[in-house]
Amino acid sequence: MKKVTYPKEVLDKMQSIVDDCMGDAPAYCEAECPMHTDVKGYVNLIAEGKHKEAISVIREKLFLPATLGRICAHPCEDKCKREEVFRQPMAVAALKRFAADNYDDKKDWDLTIEAEKSQKVAVIGAGPAGAQAALDLRRKGYDVTVYEKLPVFGGMMRVGIPEYRLPRDIIDHEYSLLEDIGVKFKMGVEVGKDISFEELKRDYDAIIIAIGAHKGVVIPIPGHDMDGVLNAVEFLRVVSLTRKYDIGKKIAVIGGGNVAIDVARSARRVGVEEVHLICLESKPDMPAHDWEVEEAEEEGIILHDGFGPERIIGTDGKVGGFEIKKCTSIFDGDGNFNPQYDENIKKTLEVDNVVFAIGQAVDSSFVSEDEIETVRGGKFKVDEITLQTKTEEVFVAGDASGRSVIAVGAMAEGRKASLSVDRFLMGEDMYEDREGEGSFETWLKTELDEDEADLPRVKTTQIDPNLRVQSFEEVDLGFTEEEAVKEASRCLKCECKLCMKECEMLVDFCECPKELFESILKTGEVDPLIPYSCNMCSQCTIVCPEEFQIKDRFMDIRKLMVKANEGKSPIKGHGAIEVHQALGFSKLFNTAKPAKKDDTSEDDVKDKGRA
Amino acid sequence: MTVKTKRVFIPGCSLPSYNPEVVKKTLEYLQKKLPGTGAILKCCGKPTKALGQVDKFKERYGEFQAEVDKIGAEEIIVACQSCFLTMSEYSPNQKVISLWELLPEIGLPEEAVGIGKNSDIVFAIHDSCSTRNRPTIHEGIRWIMKEMGYKIEEPPSTKETTRCCGFGGMVVPANPDLALRVMKRRTSEVESDYIVAYCAACRESMVKGGKKSLHILDLIFGGPWNSKSQFPGVPGTPVTSWVNRYKSKRNINKVLK
Repeated sequence: MKKVTYPKEVLDKMQSIVDDCMGDAPAYCEAECPMHTDVKGYVNLIAEGKHKEAISVIREKLFLPATLGRICAHPCEDKCKREEVFRQPMAVAALKRFAADNYDDKKDWDLTIEAEKSQKVAVIGAGPAGAQAALDLRRKGYDVTVYEKLPVFGGMMRVGIPEYRLPRDIIDHEYSLLEDIGVKFKMGVEVGKDISFEELKRDYDAIIIAIGAHKGVVIPIPGHDMDGVLNAVEFLRVVSLTRKYDIGKKIAVIGGGNVAIDVARSARRVGVEEVHLICLESKPDMPAHDWEVEEAEEEGIILHDGFGPERIIGTDGKVGGFEIKKCTSIFDGDGNFNPQYDENIKKTLEVDNVVFAIGQAVDSSFVSEDEIETVRGGKFKVDEITLQTKTEEVFVAGDASGRSVIAVGAMAEGRKASLSVDRFLMGEDMYEDREGEGSFETWLKTELDEDEADLPRVKTTQIDPNLRVQSFEEVDLGFTEEEAVKEASRCLKCECKLCMKECEMLVDFCECPKELFESILKTGEVDPLIPYSCNMCSQCTIVCPEEFQIKDRFMDIRKLMVKANEGKSPIKGHGAIEVHQALGFSKLFNTAKPAKKDDTSEDDVKDKGRA
Repeated sequence: MTVKTKRVFIPGCSLPSYNPEVVKKTLEYLQKKLPGTGAILKCCGKPTKALGQVDKFKERYGEFQAEVDKIGAEEIIVACQSCFLTMSEYSPNQKVISLWELLPEIGLPEEAVGIGKNSDIVFAIHDSCSTRNRPTIHEGIRWIMKEMGYKIEEPPSTKETTRCCGFGGMVVPANPDLALRVMKRRTSEVESDYIVAYCAACRESMVKGGKKSLHILDLIFGGPWNSKSQFPGVPGTPVTSWVNRYKSKRNINKVLK
């Protein structure tokens, strides 16, 4: 057979399949995960009892499975089809934790790196963004050193997220991969104090700033400068490092996010007896996750939702109370933050401390504005696609640029920065093919079967609230194997591939039609057996949401192959058809007979039986 | 004296190669009910079309059309679903009707009415995928089965969502293992051990898929069929099929002599 050349109209029709086939579309969870963990993949391995394989799938994308299994804000769960339809999303994080806690073995960790490179990269900050960047660059063979001002790994995961949610030995264990793979750490070294940024610039070929946002913010309301006014960042850091805090018996925490909850619950564990939580939002609208609010209330936290701060009162410069007022709306007509209050509804809480948990700022003082511009809250200004600053060898990842607020998002930013650094140092295009980085919306569209059952989410077991406030012991006990398998089995395995379930033949030759036609378009070639294995039955088209006429595409190819093969099918087995056709057209087996002569006269009379 | 032939019966290729007796009986019955019916035993060229042999098909269909035109038929009665589609598309001057649409209009032979009412067999109906979009054919088949009194089973994929028997697209000679898997997949969704098809190639595929299977004309012009009956298998060699086809030719010539 001569080489087949495909005319434009044939190629265009294949292209439309490549453009719109959803066969390779990631599931909602995977697309939403900033690190694009194969959630569906590992969840279903757990459902099949293949826990060991599950953890290896997780580790392909995440070096912190046990950590994230506990503290990931799991945006994937918000996008879960079971969330959309039944408000019962898959417990993705808890399943990850199950696999990590029970089946992750350090012996299986991938310690391979590419050939050593001569260039040196400094990463400032050992939080999730910095650690991911360091790991990725080290895997590419760079000489990577991480500078961390704290004496411990983990950044905000370590000094922001409380120990009762994330035991510290887990962070250290998972971070040991970085040491094993050859990332160097300078712990307790603060850039700008112990070593200058200029020195780093001199000694390294590229720098990634991943310092997080560790500066507390306090609203300048009357009394904010009194003794006893605290900020969440500082409070949580001290509690994280010492399990203690010199604080009163009654406190108020202001803020409605997860950090405010962390402060309130941590306060109970350092001896505070009465914790008031004040937030502008009404309870259902609080930025904190519902279950966190619920767990806080179980621990005796008193919620004052829909209230804002009026003033802090006290005597001799020491906090003695907190006056709050009813919040009537938070945003104005333009969507700007502009809280309005009912001045007639006020209450005064008798407290010894007021803790502000209303956001964090970046301490960018170690570098001059001439070198790297900053925006509101000290955040560094970066190129949206490359995370590069105006100083070309300096990149920023994580909270320091304000682009991420959750750990897994910070990791994705770290990965993004590391890719940019690699391309920068290799002299490659910094902007090419970067669409798939971070969360994106999948092009998958699936509908649930009408008879799909609303199976409730399996919940993990938690320590009794009265017991748990007495220590920093982990509150959540995770899944048993039975619970994990049951929960994992709820996964709807969201994918299109309806044709692949219907067609025996497609399954033999491709993952989905898109893959097949993409390869034909790319190579200009296809094994003749593929188009000649289509039964031409249209079953694929019937189930295809896009109603692709795949059989017609195969027929186009058949015709072109016949043309290129002197009018014959290129399939050897079709020689028999040639013989068959020759016989089928021979006189021996054919006849054509008109109607019987004597019938014609009666024809119309006898035909009346027909409609 | 010139003979006026209003219509022509086209049994197709696979049916004459399967059962020359029912070809004869069908034609005889049509003679009785619709005098003025001729017959053509000739391939329409569909196999060349399926292979992508555009020029060859044009030539073959041209030969076939010449026969139709020579006889002067205005209407084509087909017993094969591939013929139905091909002729509907390429013979715009003839009205093409399926035998399965025609029988409900003219009725079944008297001896076939109620013939299956005491049968202990449930026949699952296998619809041909090529005419999945022709509901009048599906309805006709079910009417015929009901008229004969045989019990039927509708498979999960049926009528417009019917599944390919595995024979389509000339896959059998190209990729026989795959074709066999498609056949078995089709039969596996059927509960009954017995399948009735209205295409001889489909029938053969059902047998290869592990079921006992008949062509609907076997039921109309034979039987009554029950679990004790001897069911036809698959032809041992291609020679059997060609012998049958030759017999079909002779039968047609005999009926229309």
